[in-house]
Amino acid sequence: MGLLLLLHLLAAVGAPLLVRWWGRQAFLALALVPAAAFGWVLTRLGTVVGGGEVRETLSWIPALDLQIALRLDALALTFAALVTGVGALVLVYCARYFEPDEEGVGRFAAVMTAFAGSMLGLVLADDVLVLYVFWELTTVFSFLLIGGSGAKLAGRRAASQALLLTTAGGLAMLVGLLMISGVSDSRLLSEIVADPGSGPVMVAGTMLVLAGAVTKSAMVPFHFWLPAAMEAPTPVSAYLHAAAMVKAGIYLVARLAPGLADVPGWRPVVLGLGVATMLIGGWRSLRQNDLKLLLAFSTVSQLGFLITMVGAGSQELAAAGLAMTIAHALSKSTLFLSVGVIDHATGVRDLRLLSGLGRRMPVLAVIATLAAASLVGLPPFLGFVGKEAAFTALWDGGLPDRVSAVVVLVGLVLGSVFTAAYCARYLWGAFARKPGLPDSAPEELEHHPGPLFLAAPAVLALAGLAAGPASPLLDHLVVVYAETLPLIAPEAEHLALWHGLQPALALSAVTLLGGAALFALRSQFTRLQHRLAVGASADEGYWNTLQSLDRLAVLVTGTTQRGSLPTYLGTILVVVLLVPGTVLLARTPWPDQWRAWDSPLQALVGAIVLIAAVLTVRIKQRLSAVLALGITGYGLALLFVLHGAPDLALTQFLVETLSLVVFVLVLRKLPKDIGARHRPAERTVRAAIAVCVGLVMAGAGAAALGARTATPVSVAIPELALEEGHGQNVVNVILVDIRAWDTLGELSVLVVAATGVASLVFLRRRTGAVDRASEEEASGGGDARRAPKAQWLSASGTLAPQRRSVVLEVATRFLFHTIVVFSLFLLFSGHNDPGGGFAGGLVAGLALVLRYLAGGRYELGEAAPVAPGLLLGGGLVFAGGTGVVALLLGGAVLESAYLEADLPVLGHASLPTALFFDIGVYLIVVGLILDILRSLGAEQDRQEDEEDPIDAAPDEVIVR
Amino acid sequence: MGAIEAPDLSYAALAPLLFVFGAACVGVLVEAFTPRSVRHPVQVTIALVGTIGAFVATLLLAGTEEVTAAGALAVDGPALFLQGTIAILGALSVLLFSERALDPARSAFVAAAAVPAGSVRDRELATSERVQTEVYPLATFAIGGMMLFTAANDLLLMFVALEVLSLPLYLLSGLARRRRLLSQEAAVKYFLLGAFASAFFLYGLALVYGATGSVRLSDVRVAVVTEGGSALMVIGLGLLVVGLMFKASVAPFHSWTPDVYQGAPTAVTAFMAAATKVAAFGAVLRLLYVAFGTADWTWRPLVYALAIASMVVGAVLGLTQTDVKRMLAYSSIAHAGFLLTGVIGLGPDGTGYGLAATMFYLVTYGLTTLGAFGLLTLVRDGDGEATHLSQWAGLAQRSPLVAALMSFFLLALAGIPLTSGFTGKFAVFRAAIEAGAWPLVVTALVASAIAAFFYLRVVVLMYFSDPAPDGPTVGVPGLPTTIVLAVTAAATLVLGVLPGAVLELAESAAVFVG
Repeated sequence: MGLLLLLHLLAAVGAPLLVRWWGRQAFLALALVPAAAFGWVLTRLGTVVGGGEVRETLSWIPALDLQIALRLDALALTFAALVTGVGALVLVYCARYFEPDEEGVGRFAAVMTAFAGSMLGLVLADDVLVLYVFWELTTVFSFLLIGGSGAKLAGRRAASQALLLTTAGGLAMLVGLLMISGVSDSRLLSEIVADPGSGPVMVAGTMLVLAGAVTKSAMVPFHFWLPAAMEAPTPVSAYLHAAAMVKAGIYLVARLAPGLADVPGWRPVVLGLGVATMLIGGWRSLRQNDLKLLLAFSTVSQLGFLITMVGAGSQELAAAGLAMTIAHALSKSTLFLSVGVIDHATGVRDLRLLSGLGRRMPVLAVIATLAAASLVGLPPFLGFVGKEAAFTALWDGGLPDRVSAVVVLVGLVLGSVFTAAYCARYLWGAFARKPGLPDSAPEELEHHPGPLFLAAPAVLALAGLAAGPASPLLDHLVVVYAETLPLIAPEAEHLALWHGLQPALALSAVTLLGGAALFALRSQFTRLQHRLAVGASADEGYWNTLQSLDRLAVLVTGTTQRGSLPTYLGTILVVVLLVPGTVLLARTPWPDQWRAWDSPLQALVGAIVLIAAVLTVRIKQRLSAVLALGITGYGLALLFVLHGAPDLALTQFLVETLSLVVFVLVLRKLPKDIGARHRPAERTVRAAIAVCVGLVMAGAGAAALGARTATPVSVAIPELALEEGHGQNVVNVILVDIRAWDTLGELSVLVVAATGVASLVFLRRRTGAVDRASEEEASGGGDARRAPKAQWLSASGTLAPQRRSVVLEVATRFLFHTIVVFSLFLLFSGHNDPGGGFAGGLVAGLALVLRYLAGGRYELGEAAPVAPGLLLGGGLVFAGGTGVVALLLGGAVLESAYLEADLPVLGHASLPTALFFDIGVYLIVVGLILDILRSLGAEQDRQEDEEDPIDAAPDEVIVR
Repeated sequence: MGAIEAPDLSYAALAPLLFVFGAACVGVLVEAFTPRSVRHPVQVTIALVGTIGAFVATLLLAGTEEVTAAGALAVDGPALFLQGTIAILGALSVLLFSERALDPARSAFVAAAAVPAGSVRDRELATSERVQTEVYPLATFAIGGMMLFTAANDLLLMFVALEVLSLPLYLLSGLARRRRLLSQEAAVKYFLLGAFASAFFLYGLALVYGATGSVRLSDVRVAVVTEGGSALMVIGLGLLVVGLMFKASVAPFHSWTPDVYQGAPTAVTAFMAAATKVAAFGAVLRLLYVAFGTADWTWRPLVYALAIASMVVGAVLGLTQTDVKRMLAYSSIAHAGFLLTGVIGLGPDGTGYGLAATMFYLVTYGLTTLGAFGLLTLVRDGDGEATHLSQWAGLAQRSPLVAALMSFFLLALAGIPLTSGFTGKFAVFRAAIEAGAWPLVVTALVASAIAAFFYLRVVVLMYFSDPAPDGPTVGVPGLPTTIVLAVTAAATLVLGVLPGAVLELAESAAVFVG
């Protein structure tokens, strides 16, 4: 069996090539593949009728327990024979349906063959997953077949509609199958049916599986995709929408009915939908003027009939259902193919435009009449046999519940009346001469159907005729399947043409007479239908649903994915609030006691920091906002002081000041105001989120502090600092001694950061030369008379007079050297007193800032006529060198030693080797600040002065 | 105070990492010391030697199970499996980076990233043939960080690895040669949000350390067993998960994904989508299974909810996308949800298929996504890559091969049988079912169906629409992209038809040490 499937696959892959070689004749070769499968299936007939079955299991992915389990039993054989037989004939028909030079035939041939293969796989599959795979494959191929070349909008819409509905159904089915197989403890259909599980999961699973079957077989309320799919070429309609794909749902119901029919809910759903579909399909069919649509609704109606029978879960109805399935496939394919011939010959499918065709195409008329007769249930066709059996079974009470049997019987008889009526209407519409139209309309036939073109419908129609009298033979096969179901009626009737005079025969007569009457009164009936027409249709509902889904998706995307960073961040923060925040609220062991403050001053500082924080977000101007932000930092430094940590406070103060300077340097290039484009509501929400996140984080911090059980490391550090690092400034000793490795790493990062900032600004030259004041620049330009007379700084003359400030220049002159000396004092005293290399470097840097602010970029060059890279590199060498020297002297890397001596003048002096490390730190910090000043300050000035074209839009830059 | 012992390093077990980081460092030196004219071939060679060397090293190390570097690194089955995956994905991404045949300006990366977009200098550079070669060391560092991420047996090392992999990615996202502002915006967004995520991770780390007294995953597990989960630990775990899920682009931490994927150069997007996801899930698996595997009540509900959110968000929002790159970004979000479905599949005492299934899914997803993004680079118009959906209409008529390959990749992403996507999905779903996560699998199936709809829409568009008259052209790829496409397509097919060998490898590798 696997071989047959493989054969289909190979044929599908090779089909485009064959079509290129042989044109449309290639279909004849392709038809051999399903024909071969048909032949093989028939050879197994003996085994199966004898009660045996053919099994085949191919291991696919052992690691996932995936296997391809195939099984041929009576039910599978019936469907497989239908699928392959009709498939072969339809392919033969295709050889004449397409024009010799039509485009896209190769693709069509490939997809059609692949579809035939997957349909065969579907009916042979025993593993639920394999069943699902083939089920979806048929969906995808049918999508491709309905869509055709994609040239027509209607075709594309129909294709995607069918795809969407059947995939959704298929997915529901997969979930259901998995649930059922989970409960039943097996993935094999044969084992599930033999020993189904029970319980609510089983019921839910069953309903989901039915959803799959119902969508695939176009039951109400999903019936609308089938008529829409009539956009497909006729061979597709004949094969997919009559014989094969729509029968997949019937197959699934028939396959599961032996095991699942007694699951609560199965019968109401199957029987209710089946009968409703039969009636609605028949009713709608009578309204159609397009022959193909007429047949489509007829198919819907018949599928309802079939599902009612095979899903009833009784032996006698199942046998009738199986026979009817065969009959329907044979006759409906024939009818579709006949429409194809008519369409091909005349180019018209509308029955109001056709007249007198029967006379001109007598063979076709005979074929179509035979097929219609079988569908209506005229003796001696197979349709008659099946219908008779169904009526008898219901009459005898073929359902557990007598009342429902009667209701179903009435529904089926009424549906059959419709069937008879629309079949008559089809024959009349296609072939009869009509009043009000010319004797032969259309005038000319474009093509006369050749013998090969008519072969397929002829064979199918004759098969329907022959199978009637031969039904006792068919019975042998059908009974093998039917006997897996319980017998509900007193006795099972075997399929036969003649059972003698009995109620069912009368019912058949009623349907025929009713149909004839309806047909005779067709104009009155049409008026009645118009009067009863309902505004809403399932089709419209489907499109409305799709549209509102689309609209919803757009709405959601529009609100959540606007590209707005605050929104994104807000989402993340809300989740942080929801998850860890809730845990914090619910389960945190809070500290036993809270202490508000050590001294009221702390509260005061806290209040100032809070106010500054609020101001930071409220202020519209960037510069002011940054200043307010700075206040929060200074407040923190004050808190350090109040806690008795002057060294920390010093560093914090210096860092804060420097950041302010850098901020200001950068903000020069940005618009003055922060754009305020947010609505107040938005701001409120954001503020709420921000405050909450702040509280959660602070809460987590408090909880963490409260949960401490170990002794804090800070207890041991001061002693350790004195012992190991010979220093009393704990912070400094940590930096240069205890954790000197970390500091070394951070220094490297600092160097990289400084270089990075510089190279981003100095685009062309990687670092840029030092700007020194030369003679011609010293004039400063502008009105020289307004400039201060005295020269306080060496290069302030280069500035434009209106930018100079005497007070600042004088102050700088007095302060600069003092500050530099102070910074050196901090550097050397830092081991025991507040200070250290970091603080010293920052102070020296601030001195440079002062020079730059007072005297401009040339002044900076005069103050520090060295390349920052040199300072950075030198600092790194100093710091690293300390480690290397220690290593060379036999110590560990960065191990510090301590030299002490009584010096003249200075008195007792001590020199820890860590000092050299600290000098490295000092140099690097100075280098960093210099780099920032030169790049963000001086280089920006230069670009502005020289109108360097690097700025894209100079208008955006605000001049100081 | 005793002397600090130097940690024991098992250099053999570290070989994959050493290869990649070695290549990265050499790359930096090459950037500094070789003339510009020879840099490109040299850099590509070094990066390839590093990544492929690392891959070979992982193969040779297969079966190793040891904890080294003072317990900070676990070289075990999952680590090696995922490291190998990352190395291969990395090598393929490097090949994508090195493609020079598609853009008339030779490279997808901007020549000088610091030049303001739109300035005179920028316009000069845009047409010059100067190429950026710093991307290779950057990418190699990122690959190294990712490989370290999957092997980190210590929360601190995990954080370091997180930063090592993230920082180069932030930079790489901003380096597009065309549509530079979009690219820079992407980089800034990624960086800012990523910084927040890192901060959360660090905060969580601190809390977990506070609650358990260790950052070593094995010690954390012991502490969890002996002391039970305290509130601090749960909060800490929550914050750790937030940080990791951000990297894995799981909803609701996904919001950066579409913007960044769209803005970044496509080759970088491919790299991020494929390799970062592997690394992030490697870390998620290790954190949850090793450190908190015995206290799965702490994370199971959270992961459960995140999986559902991610699948639904990815699938539903993907429906409305009109840009192929954004669409693939949402697909990546949905796939993150499917992967979490696999993470749920952890049985009691470390049994269950969850680990193996998730790892296998990562391989399949990574390769397919890489291929799909690689294909995007081929379809171009005068303005660079043509990523708007409407431009893809009727592509099958212009280039049947590209359309066919793209359809194949999309079908694989949708999880159609006979592609690797199906096998991967099946594996994670089975793992989740074994763990009793029925509702999750049902959601996943529904989400797959919705997602399949938007994948198929592209297929339909390519095959069933008329091409726009002034539509994009399909470039002829050079050797690197051709190799990438061939490898990814072949892998997608082979892992779909005969995945047995790789699945068994994943299953045999699915044992954590530590």
